[in-house]
Amino acid sequence: MVVEELRRLLPRLETIATETRALAFGLPELDRALPQGGLAFGALHEIAPQDARDLPCAFGFAAAILTRLPRTAPVFFVFASRNLRFSGRPHGHGLNALGLDPARVILIETDHDKQSLWAMEETLHAGVPATVVGIIDKELDLKVSQRLHLAAAASGRLLLLLRPAGAIAASAAMTRWRLRAARAACDRFGLITHACWHVTLERCRNGRPNDWLVEFDHAAHRFSLATQLADHPLPHRTNTQGARRAG
Amino acid sequence: MLVVDGPGGGRIAALNDEAEKAGAAIGEPLADARAKAGFLQVRPAESEADTAALHRLALWATRYTPTVAPWGEQDGADGFFLDITGAAHLFGGEEKLLGDLHDRLSAFGLPSRLAIAETPGAAWALTRFHREPHKIIGADTELFALSALPIKALRLSPETATALQRLGFKRVGALCEAPRAPLAARFETELLRRLDQALGRMAEPLAPIVPPPVYYSLRYLLEPIGAQEAVVSVAKRLMQDLVYALTRDGVGARALRLSLYRVNGLVSQIEIALTRPTRDVAHVGKLIDLKLERLPDMLESDFGFETLGLAVTLAERMEPAQAEIAAFAGDDDPECTAALIDRLRQRLGPRSVRRLAPVESHIPERAEVMTAAACTAPAWPQPDDTQMRPLLLLPRAEPADVTALVPEGPPQRFRWRGVTYAVSGAQGPERIAGEWWRTQTEVPTRDYYVVESDAGHRFWIYREGLYDRETTSPRWFVHGLFG
Repeated sequence: MVVEELRRLLPRLETIATETRALAFGLPELDRALPQGGLAFGALHEIAPQDARDLPCAFGFAAAILTRLPRTAPVFFVFASRNLRFSGRPHGHGLNALGLDPARVILIETDHDKQSLWAMEETLHAGVPATVVGIIDKELDLKVSQRLHLAAAASGRLLLLLRPAGAIAASAAMTRWRLRAARAACDRFGLITHACWHVTLERCRNGRPNDWLVEFDHAAHRFSLATQLADHPLPHRTNTQGARRAG
Repeated sequence: MLVVDGPGGGRIAALNDEAEKAGAAIGEPLADARAKAGFLQVRPAESEADTAALHRLALWATRYTPTVAPWGEQDGADGFFLDITGAAHLFGGEEKLLGDLHDRLSAFGLPSRLAIAETPGAAWALTRFHREPHKIIGADTELFALSALPIKALRLSPETATALQRLGFKRVGALCEAPRAPLAARFETELLRRLDQALGRMAEPLAPIVPPPVYYSLRYLLEPIGAQEAVVSVAKRLMQDLVYALTRDGVGARALRLSLYRVNGLVSQIEIALTRPTRDVAHVGKLIDLKLERLPDMLESDFGFETLGLAVTLAERMEPAQAEIAAFAGDDDPECTAALIDRLRQRLGPRSVRRLAPVESHIPERAEVMTAAACTAPAWPQPDDTQMRPLLLLPRAEPADVTALVPEGPPQRFRWRGVTYAVSGAQGPERIAGEWWRTQTEVPTRDYYVVESDAGHRFWIYREGLYDRETTSPRWFVHGLFG
């Protein structure tokens, strides 16, 4: 009897500090799956690509989430320079095209992941009204993720962590998202209009894990479900005579 | 005995007491000295090492006063001036200061000749030519003190000195009594300038080893310290001392220099740059702490630090703090962000915290720069929907093997980093011509395509060179990745 009562209280206790505020996706299907009706502030949220080639999609999803924040809120990207040597560096014009004003962005480059974790914690503890996005290359253990989660909880800010593909280690994160590339949405002329991702909510405390095919409108900063499975091919607008090798 | 090469063999540059007793003299040919005393040891003089050593010692001497000027070539390059105006009382008077300086130099194994006078010229003359190794003369007694010294005490060039000797002038006193006009006519400006400088009739600016800071505070410790916490705590007290002067002048520190004086005479300096002017003691303490963490070997030493000095090397106007308003602003506090950026920079390096700023250029890799993260953000233009730009730009474009249906068409399939991608859709080209006004050589035109693989990965690919017009075998590169 008492146990049942406690079990009923438990979810409320766990989220007691954060249940007041959350960043809604503005997409009812996604928001309903999350107990706070969106990404809870003051919590750690993980985003991982399905495989290494999906990292740009994971980064794009994180950037898309950031566009939902108030326009002036600064964003701190924290990453070790050598981690991004392979996948490329954040490009201001690209962020701009996705609807995230690069003027809000501050890049913090470190030498290795350990420094990145320190910089993330330091930023959260500083009382700066910033959202922190960390990009790390290594598995992080439960303890470190707990520290980050506590730092986020103390600051009441959003902490997004881009983890490497294949991350399965336990973590204290509130949610974990898995991103996979999907064919982009096109208009009737075959021009790409919206980015599109396979979004999987893998883990969510008190939430309902699910997967969706999500489009993002960079002009309106709006998420929507893709109307059809993106299997409409982009037409090649060239003549189709025998292939020739160039290069 | 130290020797430098000169015309007609080596000449003596420096010698110790033993050699002097044996009859050798500075400037004498080496052969003469050998003839007088064959037992003398001879080593080549290392003037660069001497200069470096003097520089180190002069840096150490900034523990007495921030204005320390090592002697230049014409002063003999073997000592330095300390401007102790307003510094002597810290040591309990000029005699005590001189005694302290002597004791410490002796502890380093350096014999010293010291003098305090109103003018650098007089002090120089006294250290060189006065009988007593320590001499202090009061104001307006230069003439009396110098008159018995030889004319070389005026820092004259050898030619002038020889000419004066020939004219019969031996002592400074005789020179002072002589009428000025003939001297001025005979010796141009040098002689009278030196005379006036020594007697305080003409100002002689010093060239300090480090620019003297506007705000400076110094602490002498009873016991040397070596622990990081101790250094930080003393530095915080030093900053506390400076806050009064900074507040009075309505300025804040933009750059600070912490000088750590070791017991063995070496000086370490820590430079700290700030994003915004500050008077915050705790913040400065934190920055010094982070900086020391990055420099662990600075603290590793057998010798501790006996003196710490904190100088504001750059001060900037600071708006009076509006505490009440800041408390309400809460959510958008530039002070707070600036303090955070400072802390990150101290720990991660000066180029670690940056912003992206747009540049007017069509070449993608040139279209943005990284700027220091100041508090004002650069303004970005509205995005142009007709130009797709990748979220991640590769540090440099990477070659790809591309199969295209026609050489001037979009790719059909491409191989990049060992993986073959089948292209299911391509958008483009967006033609970007080279900036021919920048370089002498011809820069090939690039045709950019956004290509989508059948799995949905999107790439930014370009073909370098216009087919037929610029090249017959265009090359392909992957330049960026879309999210």
